[in-house]
Amino acid sequence: MATFLFKRLSMMVLTMVAASFLVFAVSEFTPGSVARKSLGPFATQQQVDILTEKLRANDPLLVRYFRWVGVLLGAIPDPLQDPSTGLNFTDPRGAQYFGNFGYSTLNKLPVNDVIWDRLANTALLAGLAFLLIVPLSIAFGVLSGLKEGGALDRTLSVVCITFTSIPEFASGVFLVTLFVILWPVLPGTSQLDEGSGWPIASQLVLPVAVLVIYDFGYVARMIRVSMIGVMERPFIRTAVLKGMSTRRMVFGHALRNAMIAPFTVLLLQINFLISGVVVTELVFAYPGFGRLLLEASLFGDIATLEAATLITVAIAVTTQFIGDLGYMLLDPRIRVS
Amino acid sequence: MEKPVHPYIPTLIEEMNEGAISRRDFLRRATLLGLSAAAAYSVAGMADPSGTAIAQDMPKGGNLRIGMRCMEIKDPHLVDFAEKSNVVRQVCEFLTFTNRDNITEPFLLERWEVSEDLKTWTLFLRKDVKWRNGRQFNADDVVWNLKRVADPAVGSSMLGLFTGYLVQEIETGEKDEAGNPKKSSKLWADNAIEKVDDHTVRLNAFAPQIAVPEHLFHYVMFMLDPEENGAFGPGSNGTGPFEMTEYTVGKNARFKARTDYWGGGPFIDTFEYVDLGDNPGAAIAAMASKQVDGLSEADAVQINAMKAFPHVAVHGVQTTQTAVMRMHPDVEQFKDKRVRKAMRLGIDRDAVIQTALLGAGVPGEDHHVAPSHPEYFPLPKYSRDVEKAKALLAEAGFPDGFEVDMTTRPDPNWEFNTSQVMAEQLKEIGIRINIKTLPSAQYWEVWTSSPFSVTGWGHRPLAIMTLALAYRSNQAWNESKFSNAEFDALLTEAEGILDPKERSKVMARIEEIMQEEGPIVQPYWRVFSTVMDKKVLGFELHPSQYIQAHKYAIAA
Repeated sequence: MATFLFKRLSMMVLTMVAASFLVFAVSEFTPGSVARKSLGPFATQQQVDILTEKLRANDPLLVRYFRWVGVLLGAIPDPLQDPSTGLNFTDPRGAQYFGNFGYSTLNKLPVNDVIWDRLANTALLAGLAFLLIVPLSIAFGVLSGLKEGGALDRTLSVVCITFTSIPEFASGVFLVTLFVILWPVLPGTSQLDEGSGWPIASQLVLPVAVLVIYDFGYVARMIRVSMIGVMERPFIRTAVLKGMSTRRMVFGHALRNAMIAPFTVLLLQINFLISGVVVTELVFAYPGFGRLLLEASLFGDIATLEAATLITVAIAVTTQFIGDLGYMLLDPRIRVS
Repeated sequence: MEKPVHPYIPTLIEEMNEGAISRRDFLRRATLLGLSAAAAYSVAGMADPSGTAIAQDMPKGGNLRIGMRCMEIKDPHLVDFAEKSNVVRQVCEFLTFTNRDNITEPFLLERWEVSEDLKTWTLFLRKDVKWRNGRQFNADDVVWNLKRVADPAVGSSMLGLFTGYLVQEIETGEKDEAGNPKKSSKLWADNAIEKVDDHTVRLNAFAPQIAVPEHLFHYVMFMLDPEENGAFGPGSNGTGPFEMTEYTVGKNARFKARTDYWGGGPFIDTFEYVDLGDNPGAAIAAMASKQVDGLSEADAVQINAMKAFPHVAVHGVQTTQTAVMRMHPDVEQFKDKRVRKAMRLGIDRDAVIQTALLGAGVPGEDHHVAPSHPEYFPLPKYSRDVEKAKALLAEAGFPDGFEVDMTTRPDPNWEFNTSQVMAEQLKEIGIRINIKTLPSAQYWEVWTSSPFSVTGWGHRPLAIMTLALAYRSNQAWNESKFSNAEFDALLTEAEGILDPKERSKVMARIEEIMQEEGPIVQPYWRVFSTVMDKKVLGFELHPSQYIQAHKYAIAA
């Protein structure tokens, strides 16, 4: 178990190194300098050059990458926070500490001051959606998988496929028209702000609904296929022939076997929910991680982008690890060596 | 104290009585020359609707929330979007105020006087204005701010406005990478901006300039506390009605009312901007569920969706905001002025207005001077003429037209739609345009260097302000690289002519030059619109998109 954990952790670090370097390399080829974007359209070239110099954005790629790694690990102080640059970047935690993600050129704040709030907001949204997606998709998947091609299967399949094929922006607008404009019982945007006159809980209803509608049908389809496979197996036939009740057969024998493959799919939904909610967050003006990521990448705010990348990789590797543990519980035959 | 009256004012009154100039023109001229707005309106026999007369019987208290993008603000003298200016405006103020009718009044000034030759402007400061930290607002503050924006190292857009009467271009002696001499600029004399006493500042110009009061209302020309050296954030000092308590880019800005504000209001206790992101649907949804009390701007599509809401009032105002299709005259295809003229003839303006603005606009005439501008001279109108346009193209050596790339940005929506409609219309005269869309942030990197693009231009009360920024040779914002010695000379001449009749003669020639060989196709002037909850009182939509929260109140 310890070696397994060690392997997983070293894989995670390796992935992080590769991903973070890729982000640096890719933004190298993105047109438009950060200095120009900071100063806006009407700045003179001279001003842009001065700021580029201050931000040290002209250093070679590798120099900048290793400087970023050094700052992150706390090995060197963040050069941008040096008062002599005149950038006025100050971090209450100091310029040198482990986990220093640097300074966001977009928000003019330390990345650590921005990103965790946004991540917590998205985690709330994703968590609530996940709590609904799991039981809904299992129920839909199992019910339609019980009898392939039956009336129930056909009906549920149509529902699942219809919902999954509606993009988030369309279902978002549809729900807003219904519940905000025609029948005004819910707020139209979700800034998680008490001052708007709507309780926070009510602000979460529509974005969570959009995510659930978009995602649960897909997972249900996966479970259905897996369920159909299990239902054709000899031990199920035996159970049916010996007169076992459907309820006992499903919960005692079929479900556990049918969940092995969909389990991975379910865990993958966590990754999707954390970094793939951009559209939903945009529709509802939700102050989340996805919108931050979008704005940071449009602006070329590399410090924020890097932090977001590392966090996303960490989440992905963690869910994968949980997945491996879950396999062991679901299928005693799988043993991790 | 009896104010000395500018010697030209009696002539103006005479001209108005003879019908040579309109009442509006009289008001504009007379107030520019230092006659108070109240006096000018009374001479013209009109009621004074000006912004300084704020009703005092407004309900007090409450929190007002307006939906607007909250962008990063580095330095108030460098702001480049009305949204950024709208944030600073609640804390810091201008010396003058140009109202909805394009009439400019003193604001932090008590009054101004101008010499007969329009070269010496004496600005008298109000004596009852205090900074929030208790210090008296004085002439040193004004001199520091005016000198700061005139410094090329600061890079404020005020520099372009000052050039030609306070600021001169100089050769630095250095050369850039292409071998062209680098130019810089500086105040033409040490006493160009001069402190007379604690409450009086004098501008000594080397050329006559009539638009000084309007320049002082340009959206970056805030009076900042010199001690803060151009920085801005929560708690920043200001003379304005509010203190900013919180600012988070992409989220919100919060303000708390001052109790010792020198002017009228504020009536509300707190004020807030809420960032609703780039999705136009979010703003509609937020209005529908009353999460915001209004928006800083709403386009025609959004207005259509919201006008049926019972609690929403739609506000609109005709502006001199526009989008121009502009080309660099040094590019192969656009070298010949006949090509540029052919493109002007190839556009069906009414169709552009109907399609891109859903009807919310009036036709433009390709010279960037609007009928609502005081210096407007009506030239004969022309409509679309495909045959003539094709003939001009053939004469210029393009009998089969040509293909060309055009840079645009995806937002605002109306600007992008305008690009598409015009590109489609120009196909008919044989110009095949490939639209290359860049995200806004990247677009602004190339907005002056791209050979062919569509750019939005904001509202300005005088046409000569825009012409000086956008078409005078070698200006920082001259995106079309237009350079015409006759145009430059005429513009400088127009900037110094007071008599409206004389002046419009010069403007007529300027407009002709723009129509004959100018670098733009200008389809329309836009009607600017927004929405407010009906419970918001005192709101008047300003054509410059200026939000003035101290005038607004919330109905009980």
